[in-house]
Amino acid sequence: MIRREVSLSYELAPGWLAPHVDGLLQGRAVARGCGTCGRVSFPPERHCGCAAPAPHWITLEGWAEVVFRTDGLDGSFALVSFAGSSTKSVVRLVLDSATGRFGTLVAPTDGQPALLLALNGKGASDDTH
Amino acid sequence: MSVIATITGAALTRFDHRRDGSSFRDWAGDAFEAALAMSGLDRDEIGALVVASESDFFTFQLNPATVIAGDLGLTGVSALRVEGGGASGQLAVHAGARIVATGQARHVAVVGVDPSASTLPGSTVKMLYGMSFDQWSDGMTGTTSTALYALSVQSFLARTGIGVWALDAVTMANRANACANPGAHLPRRHGAAEIASSPMIAAPYRRLHCSPLSDGAAALILSYPGAVPEARRGAAGIVGTGAATDKFHLGARADLGRFAAKTLAMQRACAIAAITPSDVGLAEVYDAYAGAQLQALEALGLSEQIGADLEAGRFAPSGALPVNLSGGLLGQGAPVGATGVGQTATCALALEGRYHAGLQPRELPRYALADTHGGVCTTAAVTLLQAGAEA
Ligand SMILES: [Zn+2]
Repeated sequence: MIRREVSLSYELAPGWLAPHVDGLLQGRAVARGCGTCGRVSFPPERHCGCAAPAPHWITLEGWAEVVFRTDGLDGSFALVSFAGSSTKSVVRLVLDSATGRFGTLVAPTDGQPALLLALNGKGASDDTH
Repeated sequence: MSVIATITGAALTRFDHRRDGSSFRDWAGDAFEAALAMSGLDRDEIGALVVASESDFFTFQLNPATVIAGDLGLTGVSALRVEGGGASGQLAVHAGARIVATGQARHVAVVGVDPSASTLPGSTVKMLYGMSFDQWSDGMTGTTSTALYALSVQSFLARTGIGVWALDAVTMANRANACANPGAHLPRRHGAAEIASSPMIAAPYRRLHCSPLSDGAAALILSYPGAVPEARRGAAGIVGTGAATDKFHLGARADLGRFAAKTLAMQRACAIAAITPSDVGLAEVYDAYAGAQLQALEALGLSEQIGADLEAGRFAPSGALPVNLSGGLLGQGAPVGATGVGQTATCALALEGRYHAGLQPRELPRYALADTHGGVCTTAAVTLLQAGAEA
């Protein structure tokens, strides 16, 4: 057998996603809104799909409700609905053992931008905000 | 409807984890030589080569189409490589059909190949597959293919009321079919208890509900219908192709459990073929995960009561609509670039009545469907085949 080892170190420019990526690093949910059709996407979509997009950035409150959750050897992930967003989002649950339907976007501790949700361990929305 | 391209040659290598020192270039050669022999054509009659390979990370070879062209003794032909994630192979079939349809070549070789099992550690492939999804959101979240499929199937099961039992049923059926396929990676007769005791990867998906990483290749020779050799006049033909994309963020879809791109692709293919989904009598369906097969059957319009049809054996080899006779990705295996090419090859062989004994339907269907997708059905590609007039 021929053994080859490669180490790749990328410098990835965030481009138009820069406000979103910067927000994630600070634990803020920066979404893309359209002034024409009103669609708010998080994660942001570059094109909202309407005929005359008027995109701008909106900072959401940052809390979300879990719609579906999956746990296993791959980790804990969920499809959640962030308050103020027209789209849902896939997040990694940072407190794998926590239960509850609501959580808050949190900043990464390793400097890598990611959609991380900390569940609050409670089960009703009026407990969270 | 008219035949876009006749499938004069179709072949697959075995799909498995190779530990015999052979390389993807060997498998590509083996599949191509078998398909060429079946076609009865001479090598110098092949005017173009389309190679499907998902990632240079697997092959360690950029520009693989030129290298494979040389290996196959085809230097000089027009060669390109097609990539569309898991759909790479089927998109390559479409590219080959277009080359024939536009008269750029009378005979085209389509070769799908990937060393998905043997060249990299499984953990590395898992990380790479995570990059199949939006690397700027889901990818950075560290999600896995299995986790995204799990969220999608949860939505599907919740909407349809189909129970988790159906995931086990698909897994058992496809791996049982694979027992009669000598080229299959995972011929198994699972019991429900065995599945239930396999590790939970991302609920509801346990390890046995997931397709394996495989090595292998598949090849087709696509011919202009007016240039088919006399001996191959009974060959099956491609009568429709369709492809479509969906929003790559699962959460941006109106219904994350619905494979909308597959529906669009199927509608486009059916429009070209001038048939409806109910005309399909055999289907090779993209079952990267057990539930994805159920979601595909819904999206393709092949069943309106999936749970009941599954229980009644409608999709079994002896059923009215055999699905994944080959074993599918779950049973036959998944060398990504080879997957879509292999599905189409399987359909062509079955329509000619020359598929593996024990799996070959006694009554030849008129139409067959090969269905492939990439991502969580982020990009879909389907091909409709029609039996030859003399089959
Ligand atoms: Zn808009």
